[in-house]
Amino acid sequence: MNNKPFIKRALVIGGGIAGIQAALDIADGGYEVILVERSPSIGGHMIQYAEVFPTLDCPQCIMTPKMVEIAQHPNVKLMTYAVVQKVNGSAGNFEVEIFQKARKVDVKKCTGCGTCWQKCPEKVSSEFNAGMAKRTTVYIPFPQAVPAKPVIDTEHCRYIHYQQYMAGKREGKKPPECRICEKLCPVGAIDWEQRDEIIKEKVGAIVVATGFDLMPLSRIPEYTDDADVLNGIQFERLLSPSGPTAGVVMRPSDGKTPKEVVFISCCGSRDPEHGVPYCSRVCCMYLAKQALLYKHAVPDGQAYIFYIDTRSTGKGYEEFIQRVVSDGVLYLRGKVSRVFREGDKLSVYGADTLSGKRVEIAADLVVLGMAVVPSDGTKGLLTKLGIAFDEAGFVVESHTKFRPLETSVPGIFVAGMAQGAKDIPDSVAQGSGAAGRVLTLFAQSASADKALAVV
Amino acid sequence: MTKREDRIGVFVCHCGLNIAGTVDVQQVVDEIKKYPGVVHAEHYMYMCSDPGQELMRKAIREKGLTAVVNANCSPSLHERTFRRVCASVGLNPYRCEIANIREQCSWPHTNDKETATKKAIAIIKTTIERLRLNMMLTPLVIPLTKRALVIGGGIAGIQAALDIANGGYEVVLVEKETHLGGHVMELSATFPTLESPRDFLIPRINEVMTHPNIRLYLNSEVDKVTGYVGSFSVKIRQKEKIVEEEVGAIVTAPGFELLPREKLPVFPDDPDIVDGLQFERILSPEKLVEGKIKRPSDGRVPQDIVFIQCAGSRDPEHGMPYCSRVCCMYTAKQVLLYRKAVPEGQAYVCYMDIRSDAKGYEEFFQQVMSDDGVLYVRGNVSRAFRDGDKLKIWTVDTLSGKSLEITADMVVLALAMVPRSGTRELARKLNISVNEHGFLTEAHIKLRPVESLTSGIFLAGAAQWPRDIPDTIASASAAASKVLSLFSRKELLHEPTTAHVDEEVCSGCGVCVPVCTFKAISIDEKKKVAVVNEALCEGCGSCAATCPSKAMQHRNWSHRQLLAMIDVAGGGYV
Repeated sequence: MNNKPFIKRALVIGGGIAGIQAALDIADGGYEVILVERSPSIGGHMIQYAEVFPTLDCPQCIMTPKMVEIAQHPNVKLMTYAVVQKVNGSAGNFEVEIFQKARKVDVKKCTGCGTCWQKCPEKVSSEFNAGMAKRTTVYIPFPQAVPAKPVIDTEHCRYIHYQQYMAGKREGKKPPECRICEKLCPVGAIDWEQRDEIIKEKVGAIVVATGFDLMPLSRIPEYTDDADVLNGIQFERLLSPSGPTAGVVMRPSDGKTPKEVVFISCCGSRDPEHGVPYCSRVCCMYLAKQALLYKHAVPDGQAYIFYIDTRSTGKGYEEFIQRVVSDGVLYLRGKVSRVFREGDKLSVYGADTLSGKRVEIAADLVVLGMAVVPSDGTKGLLTKLGIAFDEAGFVVESHTKFRPLETSVPGIFVAGMAQGAKDIPDSVAQGSGAAGRVLTLFAQSASADKALAVV
Repeated sequence: MTKREDRIGVFVCHCGLNIAGTVDVQQVVDEIKKYPGVVHAEHYMYMCSDPGQELMRKAIREKGLTAVVNANCSPSLHERTFRRVCASVGLNPYRCEIANIREQCSWPHTNDKETATKKAIAIIKTTIERLRLNMMLTPLVIPLTKRALVIGGGIAGIQAALDIANGGYEVVLVEKETHLGGHVMELSATFPTLESPRDFLIPRINEVMTHPNIRLYLNSEVDKVTGYVGSFSVKIRQKEKIVEEEVGAIVTAPGFELLPREKLPVFPDDPDIVDGLQFERILSPEKLVEGKIKRPSDGRVPQDIVFIQCAGSRDPEHGMPYCSRVCCMYTAKQVLLYRKAVPEGQAYVCYMDIRSDAKGYEEFFQQVMSDDGVLYVRGNVSRAFRDGDKLKIWTVDTLSGKSLEITADMVVLALAMVPRSGTRELARKLNISVNEHGFLTEAHIKLRPVESLTSGIFLAGAAQWPRDIPDTIASASAAASKVLSLFSRKELLHEPTTAHVDEEVCSGCGVCVPVCTFKAISIDEKKKVAVVNEALCEGCGSCAATCPSKAMQHRNWSHRQLLAMIDVAGGGYV
């Protein structure tokens, strides 16, 4: 027991939909919240999607108001491009060290006018577009980014390379000095001198909402590494009006309209041998949605979905699957053993366990429902927080059944995919739920403080 | 109201390609710039984004705008966003209106760009005409009672009540039965850990019973609810007694029950055909005499037992079209418990798809399925009937394509989960909506999962949709957090765009009273005029449309405004 005062201020780690919801609810409850997100913008994976099932709402439309609310809320301190690197203390008194990466842009001066990212000559793979398009090295990840202020990707920036070259042994070809962004910025916001910072904060409670990544394709060697073999998020970008093809469905390899598309469920899920033993919960539904959106984009195209069991357990989900089936999407119950290129086509070898026959499909495009895994770096963060996690790296709740939002450390709560695979409504509910636990803890601490004072 | 010389700004959003893919936004801007009163018009990729909002602020300041039209998606999405933008630079937010050119224009006309563009221009012009006559309004301030009602004392209601009570506010908890705990109390054990739920529930129930902030009404039902967010008045019936409680927010958690067996004539009424909850009681430690499971008809240990999944679920013809979400897992648990109690017994599970889709569930299911004494058969059951001492089950194995007949001693039906009886009536009393199956409807299925469309009323647990214990608890804590957020405010604000009565014109005929879905209108018998409770009025406009003498008008949707809109609506098509 310590007798320091209980700090009624919360830290939320992760700016996806779960973290956003948790931060907003705590802030609306009247307490300060620090929201830490490691990428340059909040929004997480949800903002990458084309449309969401079963209502086919566009996430840009339904999510950006919440993102804007985060930016405008007087109780929220938003820190993007930052990671939590050290945590000490206990419920009521956590001391947190946050590593703020240098943006190399003075956000106070920057107006977000866009000149720098429109003119930057160096292009690299875009994370937001899941590698399906390029972005510049000074960039905002997507047009509705919050904050709408760019960062300079120091790993790829020409001038940073130039500086490193000049300061080092000067071997090989000299990189161009560039500095185009600096020359063109109308307000002089480019700040090469800006350094990484360590910011210390004190909080009373923490919500972990670090989200997920997809299992890398390389874990399943039977499915070939090919430009026309996409994972679920890449296909979302291909379907999205804000995506690299402006929503026109075309094959990445040659730009042709794909007429036969095969969707494969359980790529690495329910597969202890190659992937993970668990079910990723969301793939059945998003693949069904993607097949439907593909049919909308290419009405004369044929979509096939290979599955083991369809898992449509949410509200309106079973009905949604029935709609997809009646729209002409063909469901095949079986696993796919191989995907490989044969000339212009991709050969998909699978089985239909209901007829007991082998199935071969010559496809133009293959979409893989890759297993959901905790986001990169989760285990390291959870170790710093001192909270328990399972083999896969998901946070272990203090009781699987009855305490689903509490972790093994009092004062630290969990929400969203960091706890296990789940869909958007469940992530939002957990975000609000974790916020509820924080609000309750802060209210109880008032009486606890009094009790301590008496002792 | 007189026409002011407004300086109008129009902001057209592309919404990515949602609008700009169909509507020629440049043409819209060029055309609208020529319209009387418009001093500024521009288009942008995402007007709701930070830079989009900044464009608006800049134009309002620099051009001295006195009225703003945002042409974009439905007002339900971004009206608040853009009105806040206006307020942030000193413009009355009710001088900002939305022209819906997405849901009402670009989406339904994707194949006809020319018409869609014309229509978008017409929609914006009508909005401008309406806006010229808009009043500057200020939100209503309504009182806030910081005390909550929780309906239902199952696991969801218990969690919500404790969270709110521990959050420092008083809670009134109403439970129909004589005890707390709901269906979870009836369970023998919970998967995947096989712990008794009582170990957890009983301490929680004790906490509720002794909590200084919780007033518990057992054996009671909500009889009547009046009022609105911040000030609900609730009549609670406890046997013959009626008590009244004042609360500011309500959490609705009435829970579920199983689909009645008689809906499924394929399963006859037989003592050895039991439902999932009945089997939980048979499995409960106090019933397991010497660890033995006994069948109801003659007390013999069932050597062959058939578990039938989707009994009434995913079956639009006889039962419900939806999946009940929890049956796959509780059946797997029951199979495991059966096999522990009867090691020489054989269990069959007839299923359509296995849905073990939450944390640890797939692993648990794999463990059960790999047991030699368990056989999962993928197919629907066509008949179950008694044959002497035994039950016969006709089914099909869709994986081998063969018909099967299983002879069993006992059958367990995983009956569909349906809302608890009385949920529809309760929803009517609360004035919240239910879907076609009677489940409570949330405000937005994706992003507002625990709010109802009636402000101040929240949802938790399986009354909203079949869900398991962890998801139920998360939803209950989420509902509690919404209540705690609400109570943390100093005062409550309500939209001022409500109906109001011109008492000079109103004859007190009362036609408007029954059309109001929010029960906001009453008749003042003395004055013989209608009276609108503005705190209850959601501004839907039904009363104004119904009023035969036009005495009832809607603020900022007056008849005069509507006529002005109609005047210009058809202009672009001639």
